[in-house]
Amino acid sequence: MSEMWINMGPQHPMTHGLWNLRVRLDGELIKDVDPEVGYLHRGIEKISEDRHYNEVITLMDRCCYVAGFAWEHLYTIAAERALHITPPERAEYLRVLSDEFQRIASHLMWYAAFVQDIGLMSPFLYGMRDRDLILDLYQSYTGARMTYEYFRVGGVRSDLPPGFTDQARKVLDWLTPRFNEYDQLCLGSDIFHKRCDNLGVLKANDCVTHGVTGPMIRSAGLKRDLRKDRPYSVYRQLDFDVALADSADVTGRYLVRMEEMRQSVRILRQVVDWLDHHPGPVIAEELPRWLGAPYAPVGKEGYLLKRHYPKGVGFSAVEEPHGEAQAYVVNEGGEHPYRVKFRSPVFANISAARQYMVGYRVADIPPIMGSVDVCVGEVDR
Amino acid sequence: MEAEELSRALAPALGDRLTAVEPFPGTAGRVRFRPDGALDVFRRIHELGFTHLSTVGGIDWVDHREVFYVAWSDALKQYVFLSTDLPADSPHIESATSVWPSADWHERETWEFVGITFDHHPDLRHLLMPDGYAFHPLLRSFKLHEPEELEVKVRHV
Repeated sequence: MSEMWINMGPQHPMTHGLWNLRVRLDGELIKDVDPEVGYLHRGIEKISEDRHYNEVITLMDRCCYVAGFAWEHLYTIAAERALHITPPERAEYLRVLSDEFQRIASHLMWYAAFVQDIGLMSPFLYGMRDRDLILDLYQSYTGARMTYEYFRVGGVRSDLPPGFTDQARKVLDWLTPRFNEYDQLCLGSDIFHKRCDNLGVLKANDCVTHGVTGPMIRSAGLKRDLRKDRPYSVYRQLDFDVALADSADVTGRYLVRMEEMRQSVRILRQVVDWLDHHPGPVIAEELPRWLGAPYAPVGKEGYLLKRHYPKGVGFSAVEEPHGEAQAYVVNEGGEHPYRVKFRSPVFANISAARQYMVGYRVADIPPIMGSVDVCVGEVDR
Repeated sequence: MEAEELSRALAPALGDRLTAVEPFPGTAGRVRFRPDGALDVFRRIHELGFTHLSTVGGIDWVDHREVFYVAWSDALKQYVFLSTDLPADSPHIESATSVWPSADWHERETWEFVGITFDHHPDLRHLLMPDGYAFHPLLRSFKLHEPEELEVKVRHV
């Protein structure tokens, strides 16, 4: 039979976003794939050159709309290094609090979408229900459910509202037994195993060669998590394990993400306890107004005046829910970054699609792409 | 691994292809090299254990362009930052895809946005922009519209 190219996307239920997977088929067999991205390109790196340092944070939320906090954190670390600013410790804990809730929310979003791809309907509703509890928490301290704009270069915007930690504990208590229920729904189902076992296999060596990171590389048995390997923020003080699997297939990625959510709950309990007992400032002092410092008495030197920051470059890398994200900020003096470069983990994970898709069947595409957890916003930027 | 150690590991094999090794926060160091010896530098860095290329990017400094690479070593648990300067009139450098296959898309993106050509790249075509797009948007000469340039037509009724 003659081979043919088929466009799966940009409006295909499998894509979860606006991108196109071109597939070369021989009957049902996948011979080659060529992902086409760029439908959601908004020029975030270009726009950043024209924005104040804090205004870029607004763009970061749009970079990955299911993991906005991870990207805000990534950028603020790089910008602080470029500008030689150190945030206070409480701000760091608030950032980790946001990050880890975001990891759970992002994985729940993935869970909801992924299980629907393989034909299980009810887990979708459970996943979305529990994610909403986290969004409610976000709303209580940032005012937004999706685009938070909460981090600042030098700290965070505001402290937690009264009673937040108790509410957060309630959510964590609710979530803990839910993960076992999710597992029962999926791992207890023969259909799940028939559709996902030994599918989309990408061994650890190939992951390294093709730049794949995140749950995909951990599902191949390679223990690689920037929170452990290069601890940023306050991860060094927190006790948690790196989620691992060894099957390198779709089921392995499922197991890794499930375990990551459990570990995030473990981290969050420590963070919430810390926040209860350590009040303090949440933004660095002596920031100029153009970096969003709180209103200061007029005339106090350094606040209303443009403080000149020495030139510098900042490189940061964080473990985003999808993998390793990196930012490179070049500060040539002044209020705008000269150049901002972002490395999106999903961008690299999709670019290796040929490695984990060729040789499988058409019906295997939704579970495989679902297990990659594509977020087009950060691919296209 | 610190910058000095990195310099000792690289200098004998690379000679004058290596320009400088500087400390760089968050990484083992920033390796600056001459663009004509790029492939040797990539191979040597890869031999040192930096087998995972994370990203490639470019900066337009108007009088010249800079291309940078970030690689990760699983054994050292560290990044290394490589960068080199290219002339602005014909910025081109050897593709890293033969050493790190993951450079593929990152180089396509850098070519598309900063206008740096990667020689012997297997598939250097548009990635995020439509085919035939004639501009390199991340060049400083590519201006975003200023608000006053946009004409707002008010219709009076």
